[in-house]
Amino acid sequence: MLTHFPAVLLFSLFTSVVFGITQRAEPKMMVRFGAFCFAIFVGATVVVSWLMYAIKH
Amino acid sequence: MATEAEQIAQRVPGEKSSFPALALLVGWLVPGAGHFMVGKWVRGLLLFVSILGMYLIGLGLQGKIYSPADIQGILDILNFVGQLGLGLLYAVARVFNLGASTVVTTVGDYGSKFLVVGGLLNLISAVDAHSLANGRKKGA
Repeated sequence: MLTHFPAVLLFSLFTSVVFGITQRAEPKMMVRFGAFCFAIFVGATVVVSWLMYAIKH
Repeated sequence: MATEAEQIAQRVPGEKSSFPALALLVGWLVPGAGHFMVGKWVRGLLLFVSILGMYLIGLGLQGKIYSPADIQGILDILNFVGQLGLGLLYAVARVFNLGASTVVTTVGDYGSKFLVVGGLLNLISAVDAHSLANGRKKGA
């Protein structure tokens, strides 16, 4: 069964691939933008998760 | 000096043919197929794998497949429209009764979100194929 963190990674990966391909015209910029989106997705999830943990405790 | 309308017309050389509309339609029905039509094989394959991955994970997590009969509020309408973006994958899920009819677990809710976002991503990729086909987007 897919657990939470792998689900986040897969969601971020697939979404970032589509964003990279569709939002940029040059292959090099596609890779850069896709990597940027992936980092933002995963980073934001981790930060928000710790924030929720801090609020709860 | 060309007016703005003339500049737009210059950027869209294939607008009057039906090819861009066909790329849009085919790209919506089958993820990545619009990019295959314009000769972007690697991009089409990556889009196909990504959107199919979102779809399969969504079904694997027992995400809900929305139908018009389920609509009870604005969020249901948005979810239904989002999943319609999956094109033929949505039709397959409906015909073969895949996914869940109701969300009963937390991961089932995650699965529904994978399916909705997968549909929205497919719409974005179909529009991108349309832009490539009519020349509005210059692809390397």
